[in-house]
Amino acid sequence: MSEVMISARDVTRNFSISRGMFRGKKTLRAVNGVDLTVKRGEVLALVGESGCGKTTLAKILLGLLPQTSGMVSLCGQPINAVPRLELARMVQPIFQDPYSSLNPRKSIGSIIGLPMRVQGVESAQTIRRQVETTMDLVGLPSRLFESYPNQLSGGQRQRVAIARALVNRPQVVVCDEPTSALDVSVQSQILNLLSDLRKELNLTYIIISHNLAVVEHIATRVAVMYLGRLVEEAETAALFNNPQHPYTVALLESVLTPEPHLGIPNTQLGASYPNPIDPPSGCAFHPRCVNAMPHCAARAPSGQTHKAAYVECHLYHGTETAKAG
Amino acid sequence: MSDRVLEVKNLSVDIPLAEGVLHAVDGLNIHVDKGETLCIVGESGCGKSLTSLAIMDLLPKKAIRRLEQLDLGGTSILDYSERQMSDIRGNKMGMIFQEPMTSLNPAFTIGNQMVETLHRHRNITGAAARDLAKHMLEKVGITAADQRLNQYPHQLSGGLRQRVMIAMTLLCEPELIIADEPTTALDVTIQAQILLLLQELQSEFDMGLILITHDLGVVARIATRVAVMYAGQIVEQGTVQQIFENPMHPYTRGLMRCIPVPGKTKPGEPLGSIPGMVPSLVGKFTGCRFADRCSHATDICRQGDIDLRAESGKMQAYRCVIDPKKMAKVA
Repeated sequence: MSEVMISARDVTRNFSISRGMFRGKKTLRAVNGVDLTVKRGEVLALVGESGCGKTTLAKILLGLLPQTSGMVSLCGQPINAVPRLELARMVQPIFQDPYSSLNPRKSIGSIIGLPMRVQGVESAQTIRRQVETTMDLVGLPSRLFESYPNQLSGGQRQRVAIARALVNRPQVVVCDEPTSALDVSVQSQILNLLSDLRKELNLTYIIISHNLAVVEHIATRVAVMYLGRLVEEAETAALFNNPQHPYTVALLESVLTPEPHLGIPNTQLGASYPNPIDPPSGCAFHPRCVNAMPHCAARAPSGQTHKAAYVECHLYHGTETAKAG
Repeated sequence: MSDRVLEVKNLSVDIPLAEGVLHAVDGLNIHVDKGETLCIVGESGCGKSLTSLAIMDLLPKKAIRRLEQLDLGGTSILDYSERQMSDIRGNKMGMIFQEPMTSLNPAFTIGNQMVETLHRHRNITGAAARDLAKHMLEKVGITAADQRLNQYPHQLSGGLRQRVMIAMTLLCEPELIIADEPTTALDVTIQAQILLLLQELQSEFDMGLILITHDLGVVARIATRVAVMYAGQIVEQGTVQQIFENPMHPYTRGLMRCIPVPGKTKPGEPLGSIPGMVPSLVGKFTGCRFADRCSHATDICRQGDIDLRAESGKMQAYRCVIDPKKMAKVA
């Protein structure tokens, strides 16, 4: 149970942003010193506003993007040392929009079977058999084998994307907003399917989502990101019942549940998400924080474990001197 | 009642296709009063966006609009010419769309676009227009409004752009605002802010607001009344309390069971779902459009068209022939 599937140590990814002729380049730190451990069978959700680096981090974990510094390992091996094919067999992605992630010119059978051909399976019969088993697993009727993506509904397309990810029976699936392009009635079907598959195939999920209601439903652990930093990480129930970081509190407050008497929440976050090229000094969240103290602007808080959760905030520091940086 | 801002009676939108006529919206009646928020909720393809476009007379050329009555602020605008309609749009009737980047002109500054609106509709120009624009930007919570007026849309974040759109819409003090998925492209934190802003401004200016969305959470928090659309028809309508506390139509009930709610649905347990797909609306359709996906459906459901029927003495109405007591037993 407690076998570590993916671990990230101090992972940083920088992008060099050109600011126009003669103005030189600036560094955008999309992921900034993230530590993360995902155990087998866990569902880790990465949440945060757009631009906080959650997709970049997912790409690093998928091995699609090299990190600038730090260390990512998969089952104890450094991810950069794992051969590409081997990595693809173990970690697979599911993307947000099933309308753009499927090749419109390929039949469903050939889309789902492609990862097998990439892995060097040659027998058409083996491929067909495995594709049909997988289609059955995700609830796609096998008569769709010869169909094309444009003949399918949004929910069916997302099932194709899931089948393609699972055809080689990977260990880890990285889902980037798996349901946000879908209607509510279809979203619930896909969420149910993802939970069933996890139990059936003993999968580990890393799910990126901005929909916290979905996260609460499906995730076992939640990591909250803000401007490339991991600001809080905890078990789902703990995070939802007792959020520590002021940003997490604000995020949870802004979830609109279908409860008419509650009205629209006032999160007091202020309008502006800071420019990631030019992040605020000290704690990156301090300009929007309701609990900001004078020293928040001066130095960044170091992370610490507080009530079984990892949190990065001066509120939980007492008088300890944090190292800047 | 002079409080009525918008009255739409018997709206139908047909789209002729190669394989037949698609009845995208069918016999829709809605009305909005001053200070009221009507939420039209439904899944993709249910006709909610076409409804809003039909009210504004902005339907694609191919589409055929049929209407019995269309009153804005007590006057019929049914027979207005294109010129008269364009006087009304953006003036008495404001619009806010989903993606503010596509509805703002990238080649002009925010100030330019706001001043142009004032010039076109209220004949205010020069410094007076600029002052008014600045004032409105401040009203929607934009700081450093003077500098923002000189900026281009691409220089603003998504939340700021949507605020600019709202400010622009408010410039002419419209009686009615139609907002089509105004917060779908925004982050949750920004979404709450924009909705709060819309609500505050609406009560301040005493406007009617039609909000079109697929997000039941948004509906629950902002609506006064709700119309649930399915396959081109309103299948249930009522006050927000009625719809969320006592949904009557099987589709509405199904939708409510599909959404995870922190604290209510149990993590890990399967969510409700609605099997099947929306039927094709090409050609003539008889009977309940939800029948094929409904677990309560019987032969009567498919025999004739079903009217919206009201609970006696209540505002809530739904398009279903099954005895609600029976339904409660099965569900």
